[in-house]
Amino acid sequence: MSLNRRLLLSASFVLFVFLGLTGFVLDRAFYHSAEQAVRERLQGQVYSMLAAADFDENKKQIQVTEPLPDPKLSSHQSGLYASIYTLSGQLVWKSKSSLGMQLPRYRKAAVAQWHYEQLSSNKDQAYSSVSFAVVWEDEQAKRFQFNFQVLEDYKQFKQQISQFRNELWGWLSAVTFLLLLTQGVILRWSLKPLREVADDLLKVKSGEMQRLSEHYPEEISGLTEGINTFIDSERSQRDRYRNTLADLAHSLKTPLTVLKAGINRDAVAEDEIDGLQDQVDRMREIVDYQLQRASASGRATMGASTLLLESIERIVSSLNKVHAEKGLHCQVQIKSDLAFPGEEGDLFELMGNLLENAFKWSRGKIKVVAEQLTINNRKILRLSVEDDGNGVPEEKRQLVLQRGKRADETVTGHGIGLSVVQEIVAAYQGKFTIAESELYGGAKMVVEIPLI
Amino acid sequence: MRLLIIEDEPTLRLQLEKTVSEAGFVVETAADGEDGLFQGLEYPFDLAVVDLGLPKMSGIEVIQQWRNEGKDMPVLVLTARGRWQEKVEGLEAGADDYMVKPFSSEELLARIRALLRRSTGWSQSQLECGPIQLDLTSQSVQVEGEAIEVTAYEYRILEFLMLHTGEVISKVDLTEHIYHQDFDRDSNVIEVLVGRLRKKIDPKNEYKPIETLRGRGYRFALARATG
Repeated sequence: MSLNRRLLLSASFVLFVFLGLTGFVLDRAFYHSAEQAVRERLQGQVYSMLAAADFDENKKQIQVTEPLPDPKLSSHQSGLYASIYTLSGQLVWKSKSSLGMQLPRYRKAAVAQWHYEQLSSNKDQAYSSVSFAVVWEDEQAKRFQFNFQVLEDYKQFKQQISQFRNELWGWLSAVTFLLLLTQGVILRWSLKPLREVADDLLKVKSGEMQRLSEHYPEEISGLTEGINTFIDSERSQRDRYRNTLADLAHSLKTPLTVLKAGINRDAVAEDEIDGLQDQVDRMREIVDYQLQRASASGRATMGASTLLLESIERIVSSLNKVHAEKGLHCQVQIKSDLAFPGEEGDLFELMGNLLENAFKWSRGKIKVVAEQLTINNRKILRLSVEDDGNGVPEEKRQLVLQRGKRADETVTGHGIGLSVVQEIVAAYQGKFTIAESELYGGAKMVVEIPLI
Repeated sequence: MRLLIIEDEPTLRLQLEKTVSEAGFVVETAADGEDGLFQGLEYPFDLAVVDLGLPKMSGIEVIQQWRNEGKDMPVLVLTARGRWQEKVEGLEAGADDYMVKPFSSEELLARIRALLRRSTGWSQSQLECGPIQLDLTSQSVQVEGEAIEVTAYEYRILEFLMLHTGEVISKVDLTEHIYHQDFDRDSNVIEVLVGRLRKKIDPKNEYKPIETLRGRGYRFALARATG
């Protein structure tokens, strides 16, 4: 899982839990206070009824002086209802608002005690109810108890609550959304340097950059400096390795030249000359092959890239100079921004050997093409060199390429150069094929190298 | 033909000197870049063989300086590393051909002769002017299809004049290109040699191949028959 996703997920989780709990607590608190408000309101109604009610000594009955202070009690089906019952539960009086309505009766009423409950009538109509009992005494000190009840339609309460909830959760959602958005932006911004490092590393890998840049936040600058040190040391190690090899070649080859040139003369018997010459040639080929193979660096982990056109044109004009007498025409077909995914040295060895062969065997025409292709969703660089020489017979093509493995094989025509080409191409995980040129009828050498 | 060989490895230098002078060339040698540069600038050479890895001054620098100073003799580069970058740099600096060590003496001589031909505009190793044929490889001379015996110095004079057909060559130039620089320059020797050569290649005095331009020198007057 990516860092970005981890951080986003965990932060979102915390955010949701926190805001969820906040919402829940706020909801409860509001519910209770709203309930409390309903009770107080209903109590107030009971008090106002008590003020309006009077005991008729003669009729031994309760009398309510109307209109009551709250007009809602007088208007029909207003949602606020009041009623008075005898101790035995017989309805004595009810407010005008409840005319024709079947109102549920309290379950319990005690003297000087408030009793709250929720009641429902038959037609799933719910009410908040408060009941309160009052006792009157007549002149004979006989006690008459009357139960007062005030009902309020529960719908109002529910509406209030749901309105509050809508607002609460609406706002909470908006806040959540905003926080998530901010968080996402902050994450992107804070992780940007990491993404840049990754991008830069890719560029270093593909050769667009030599090393990582210096300006990263201090938290990762240790890491990037480490990578740079690694890149530098790898590079210098490779250079050192190559220089050592070059020195070795130089120190071995000069004595070999002396040997080779010295064999023809003087002390050596005529029949031994060929054998000695062969041995020296073989030594030379082994040295050549091993050195070239070792110096083909292959795609370095932190490679460079080399523009193809410029390097190839340099090789072509050099070879044109050497083979000026043959008056060859070499056509180069390469886009100027196309690059070889490796070091200049490797490109020079690769194309130098291919082109040298072409110039050696061509009778007049050579064509060099470099192009970038996509095969099976993979980008490859294809380099081809074709000439109008004799070509390589099909049965010898394999032999030419194998020559490097067995340095004593001699193949007429193409020299050791092609096995070096084979070796470099292998180091780049590429493919080297020898075919016949359809264009000119000579040899066509094709190198395919995968691009990152 | 006068050649300069710059090579730092003493055994190889001696060997090259021997090989090339036995093949009929006048050879001077230098063991480092600075000496090579100086000799190349001071004395006339028909060709230089330059090793790229030289002490004091690299072969590439030597060639570049020669070219900057207007020295245009063909240059054959020797390289031990055989790296293409090195070859290309050498050729770009002004060299005309390269050879990767080790090489055989025959190969070296063949390249030297080819470069000399190319630089004087001949495309084959058989030089043919009128009835006279000169083979650069076998160093033999034929007139009207018949082999003519010439001495080494006579051959060198004829070869130099034929390679530079039509050009006026002073006695001093001729001396410099066929003798070592420490040779006692007595122009009479050249006159005697040219006189003998004339008798050998044109006994009946009918073609007059070598003209004498009074006070200026000699000129090979017959037109090139081959390219």
